[in-house]
Amino acid sequence: MPRRRLARLLLMVRFCFIHPPRHYPAQRDHIVNPAKIVLSRQALNPALIARLKQLAGTSIRNCMQCGKCSAGCPMAGFMEHPPSRTLRLLQLGQNIQVLAGRSIWHCASCETCTTRCPNGVDPAAIMDALRKLWWDEQGRSEEKEVQLASRLFLDNIRRYGRQHEMRLGALFNLQSGKLFKDLALGPKLMARGKLKLTQEKNRNLAEIEQIFARIEQMRQKGKTP
Amino acid sequence: MSRTATALNYGYYPGCSLHASAREYDQSTRGLFGALGIGLSEVPDWLCCGATPAHNVDRLLSLALSAKNLTLAEKVEGDLAVACAACFSRLKTTQHELKDDAEKRSQVGRAIDGPVPLAKKVKHLLEILDSDFGLERLQQAVKRPLSGLKVACYYGCLLTRPPGVPQLDDAEAPTIMERVIEAAGAQTVAWSHRLECCGAGFTLSRPEVILKLTGDILAAAKEAGADCLMVACPLCQGNLDLRQQEVEKASGTRYGLPALYLTQLLGLAVGVPASQLGLDGLLVSPQGLLREKGLL
Repeated sequence: MPRRRLARLLLMVRFCFIHPPRHYPAQRDHIVNPAKIVLSRQALNPALIARLKQLAGTSIRNCMQCGKCSAGCPMAGFMEHPPSRTLRLLQLGQNIQVLAGRSIWHCASCETCTTRCPNGVDPAAIMDALRKLWWDEQGRSEEKEVQLASRLFLDNIRRYGRQHEMRLGALFNLQSGKLFKDLALGPKLMARGKLKLTQEKNRNLAEIEQIFARIEQMRQKGKTP
Repeated sequence: MSRTATALNYGYYPGCSLHASAREYDQSTRGLFGALGIGLSEVPDWLCCGATPAHNVDRLLSLALSAKNLTLAEKVEGDLAVACAACFSRLKTTQHELKDDAEKRSQVGRAIDGPVPLAKKVKHLLEILDSDFGLERLQQAVKRPLSGLKVACYYGCLLTRPPGVPQLDDAEAPTIMERVIEAAGAQTVAWSHRLECCGAGFTLSRPEVILKLTGDILAAAKEAGADCLMVACPLCQGNLDLRQQEVEKASGTRYGLPALYLTQLLGLAVGVPASQLGLDGLLVSPQGLLREKGLL
């Protein structure tokens, strides 16, 4: 192997050897271990890169590792792989490290990264695409509660047409097992008329159900990205 | 631009929060617009925009929900006025993404079983006050200037980002909130966290995130010497107000910063009776502060 290419490979591996933030709770399994990174033509996954581009409308190939996204990311302190490292890992074909980790569920969709990227990458859309891949293939991640909240939120739309905040909070507590979460807040909100026990259903609920059903059908037939 | 005395009338998309946990935003919007003579007619049978969870799960579903809302909005006259920053962002994103992408447009069209109308102008309340109604007219309408009140304008994430999509103001250095509230005589503070994320989407699933992000925002506003925060998003307000006590407990600092909606502050200034502004809906009560400044 020519020396220059070897040096570049070593540099790539070195880049991944960054310690996770110290206050991050110990989730050692998914933290990048350089010994586990195998760089090869097989490891680079052009199909995944293409799929991400199809889903997100932006290519991770354009990331040049300037780090502005991670610098501005309000959630970087909670992440094992902040946005720029997520992109680099994907470029190197280490998609399992990214997909099985928690970071993709920690993105708050605040669009700071997308706003600041100097090379037109849309990391926020990539994060959506990565979550979509995980929803489609694996269903459940280690961030069950983030997934639960999203699922209940969408379920409310399908069932009522609008958000039923009381149901959202109550079912979240029941299904996550955190029965007493925000219990003190409930009466304060109710006294101010901010929490309704019941939610009227939209008159056009049948049409809303159709939207959900049609998208499911389109997905089954493979007619959507 | 209609700066003349012609009547302004808009379609109105309040969004789910404004019918529940942010009902004072709805109440004060109607109060303020009524006092300014701006007409609002609510979109019939509007549905939830899906906010952040929808596009986190399925972008196509998110686009389809907003497309359906745009279809429903065609039933009302005038541009579409939106109060919630998240709904505003979803509607604008949908228009932006579908405008030049025929394939995506046809997929969304199939999902909602009809063409996607993209021509409706979607405007945040701030934009209506700043451009359509105009700051001069707003200034003239002020009966009780908010002088002496130091306001920290908090934009949050979705009002201005990403560039080119909401087109409300500059994505990273906006001034529209400051312009509007200064027209009502308030003093604004320069501070660091105007555009930082409050962690809204995690309010249910990861409260520790809220404590950190919202805590930083409250600390920054306090340090800048603000009397209160002004917000334009029910989710930001929820975190800054409902969770303020928790933040105070976790950080061991007392902030006591009321987070008021822009429509509540402007409503006070143009003389809407306080009873129509839902001031008692806030957990961190603004009554003491407003009385001290002679505004109540």
